[in-house]
Amino acid sequence: MEGILAIWQRDLTKFFRDRARLFGSFSMPILFLLIFGGGLSGTMETMMSGGFGEESSGFNYVEFVFPGIVAMTLLMTAIFSAMSVIEDKNYGYMKEILVSPISRVSIAVGKMLGAATVSTIQGVILFLLIPFLGLSYSIISLIQVIPFMFLLGAALSGVGLLFASMIKSTQGFQLIVQIIVMPMIFLSGALFPVSNMPGWLDVIVKLNPVTYGVDVMKKIMIDVDSLPQTVQETMGLHITVFGRTVSVFEEILFILAFAVIFVAIATISFKRAHA
Amino acid sequence: MNSIITVKGLTKTYKKVDAVKGINFDVKEGEIFGFLGPNGAGKSTTINMICTMLKPTSGEIIINNYDAKKQKDEVRASIGIIFQENTLDGKLTANENLKLHCRFYNVPKNKREKRIQEVLEIVDLVDEQNQRVEEYSGGMKRRLEIARGLLHYPKVLFLDEPTVGLDPNTRAHLWEYILKLKEKEGITMFLTTHYLDEAEISDRVAIMDQGEIIAIDSPASLKDQLGGDIIELSTEDNEAALREIEDKMETVEVKVEDDTIHLKVESSDAFISSFIKTLEIPITKLNIRKPTLNDVFLAFTGRKIKE
Ligand SMILES: Nc1ncnc2c1ncn2[C@@H]1O[C@H](COP(=O)(O)OP(=O)(O)OP(=O)(O)O)[C@@H](O)[C@H]1O
Ligand SMILES: [Mg+2]
Repeated sequence: MEGILAIWQRDLTKFFRDRARLFGSFSMPILFLLIFGGGLSGTMETMMSGGFGEESSGFNYVEFVFPGIVAMTLLMTAIFSAMSVIEDKNYGYMKEILVSPISRVSIAVGKMLGAATVSTIQGVILFLLIPFLGLSYSIISLIQVIPFMFLLGAALSGVGLLFASMIKSTQGFQLIVQIIVMPMIFLSGALFPVSNMPGWLDVIVKLNPVTYGVDVMKKIMIDVDSLPQTVQETMGLHITVFGRTVSVFEEILFILAFAVIFVAIATISFKRAHA
Repeated sequence: MNSIITVKGLTKTYKKVDAVKGINFDVKEGEIFGFLGPNGAGKSTTINMICTMLKPTSGEIIINNYDAKKQKDEVRASIGIIFQENTLDGKLTANENLKLHCRFYNVPKNKREKRIQEVLEIVDLVDEQNQRVEEYSGGMKRRLEIARGLLHYPKVLFLDEPTVGLDPNTRAHLWEYILKLKEKEGITMFLTTHYLDEAEISDRVAIMDQGEIIAIDSPASLKDQLGGDIIELSTEDNEAALREIEDKMETVEVKVEDDTIHLKVESSDAFISSFIKTLEIPITKLNIRKPTLNDVFLAFTGRKIKE
């Protein structure tokens, strides 16, 4: 336990000391907010009111896209934070960790929690933009959503840990991340609905933890029930797997299972690592 | 004395290289055990296997009564290691590095700060403890690593070339610290080096070459085994002098290297006065000395350890 905390705290301390990283990681989400918020929202909203007439008035696209952009930030920072494993290997510190009696599970969990915390912090900082975007989520919903952001961050850092265990250089890691991050975002419903994807793309959507994470976040932050059924459906708020609509509870369970599986894989890789 | 480390038939084969070829040795509790050998001899590979960081191809390692292959956590808790390469976190301060180490090794919370100050004092870094390690010099980093290795009171401290890359002054200081430690804490120390003078401080030395241990003993008896004294001389005509020596004199061994003749004799006192009188070729340089570990290495392998 002490070992997990130590590893977690070290990564946090280093995160707060690295100001460049702290601020550098906001450029992407802000760019996406400009494009999807400013640029696309008009089109989307016209489409909605064109299609469904009066009943969809009051639909605010930015309100939908904002949780998705927070999830995107979670994804990017969670995976990038896992890169600390590669840095630790290259700077030799991983040997100090591996030669100590900390259990290998604790190392994997510590690293995962570190990356999850860092990504959650980055995500929460994005909340500061809410007033400027003219959005109005309730404070309570914002607080409620944080644990789920953390859970999603943990699952996603598991993906990062997997790559970090396979790749030796930070450059190689960044390349892989770029290849993997974009599909995970675009095939998750974070930025636009993905309810009608063709066969194999749909499989990716349904296996992607971001899909469920974003859905949970939207359902907590947006007053979904007050929206007309048609809008709910068009925005892809009813995810179906094998023809069955999944519940929020099942979504959380999926993300949790995803995190556990990946932490197990990371543990194995630390067991094998002979620095 | 009890053995704290026992190694039997240990081998390590990398894809192409046989780095360690079935070595056997033991290390006694409380001693300084030195591993001496040239680059690539297999010293680090051996240490890393004993420390659970590398999987042996075959063989047995018992350390502090634990099996290094099966009881990894127990072994890890029993040892401290200063790796050949730097393993500090440069972005953190020295104190933070040490604190983390305490937590990794489950040092009780209320004892941490006291022990940290204690080891910092041993290596003289008390005043610099709140600086980030990336601002440290190479020697300070090495000292900090040694301090860190001691923090959890290990039964055995491994030091893999602790002084490599340091200037002679810093090297000497570092050894002072290490010896001070040995006196104060009575820790067993296992060190590797390719500096001969450093191997001299060991209670026992294993000389390693190309994956094999070619001799193990105290530095004194290794040199005694070699026997006698060594005379090194240069003359105006080494070829002629050599012929003369071989014809007329009682020597144990004669070797020529570069422009120096090496003679090994039973006793230089008896030999030298008659030698100088007898030799007709004028001598330009003469040096008489006791054998060093380098001579031991030379005798076993026919090569010198490169310094
Ligand atoms: N990871 C590895 N893969 C393949 N070969 C290796 C590896 N590590 C070491 N070797 C080889 O094993 C042999 C022993 O290396 P080792 O590092 O143990 O030597 P050493 O005695 O510590 O040398 P030095 O004094 O340079 O530190 C060398 O021939 C080296 O090239
Ligand atoms: Mg070495």
